[in-house]
Amino acid sequence: MSLNRFEEMNSIQIDALREIGSIGTSHAATSLSSLLGSEVRIPLPEVKILEFNQAVEELGGFETISAGVISVLSGQINGMMLALFGLDAINLLLDRMIGKTVSDYNELTDIESSAVIEVGNILISTFINALSNLTGVKISPSVPQVAIDMQGAMITVPMAAYGNQSNYIMLLGGTFIVDNKTIPCKLLLAPDVKSLNYLLYCLGIGE
Amino acid sequence: MEKLTIGIADMKLAKNQGTLVTYALGSCVGICLWDHLIKIGALVHIMLPINMETNRTSPFKYADTGIRLTLTKMEQMGARRARIVAKIAGGAKMFNVPGNGSLGNIGQRNVESVHQVLRMEGIRILKEDIGGSTARTLFFDVATGEGTVKVYGNVQRKL
Repeated sequence: MSLNRFEEMNSIQIDALREIGSIGTSHAATSLSSLLGSEVRIPLPEVKILEFNQAVEELGGFETISAGVISVLSGQINGMMLALFGLDAINLLLDRMIGKTVSDYNELTDIESSAVIEVGNILISTFINALSNLTGVKISPSVPQVAIDMQGAMITVPMAAYGNQSNYIMLLGGTFIVDNKTIPCKLLLAPDVKSLNYLLYCLGIGE
Repeated sequence: MEKLTIGIADMKLAKNQGTLVTYALGSCVGICLWDHLIKIGALVHIMLPINMETNRTSPFKYADTGIRLTLTKMEQMGARRARIVAKIAGGAKMFNVPGNGSLGNIGQRNVESVHQVLRMEGIRILKEDIGGSTARTLFFDVATGEGTVKVYGNVQRKL
């Protein structure tokens, strides 16, 4: 029997997803580390199955402004991957990459926005590659898109895409620590329920 | 003054006074419904156009069941269908996601569904602030029927 809802997952399956997440995020951290030339760590990533409103609160609230980079996943699984960067995270990245910082999001020009997209892209693709290698599932992420706005509206994008199936969303992700400083950047993997089943099946723990 | 927060797939009603607010509408649509005579106002935050769930556990997630259930609740409090008017906001496209049409234009489909349901229920839309690519926070004052849309960058628009 396969899962119909995210909230039906058992603890073994959640642990396995956390493990996948851990491998995915550590690969992402390694690539970020070589890009920035500093030590980047991600503490044990979290797998959370949350109701929509709880999920947004958990990620820092509805009206908080963030830069979001999103990529739609296709291939053998469907889903979305979203990287959220706060202003501190953007400044840290820009400072290392192009030696510049901004005091507000609206100061981001095309070059700086593409730098943010690029970092998002690297994080998302390394995560997906690790996931793909580990499970043998073919996944192709789309060209990433960026938006700078209230993050509540961005987090609802994957929710709306899979909202017909559940009132819950699965968040798998972590916060980065660069040179012992926590930067508010979150990486979220949101597969649809069918793809989650397939992923669990490929890991040999599907029901 | 009392402020009521409406979450995603949620609805709240207020009578005489109070502000109804829903934060960060992206592709979701916020629908303010108001009976000016007895000052009953409601705000629904819908996420998807049509309810196709078999057991219908969350009616306010969808434009069709969300609007209809809200109208019923307003009528139970004494509102009259003929006096109820609507103001709507939201339905943006947050990311320019390539290809995949069904994911890309959920906002637009939500707005179309809201329009259709309101037309079928005979509710007039007084004002709307829809589409585009920005998130909106929507405030609705039940005493005056005035709406305010707030977008990123300290911009406020009357609704």
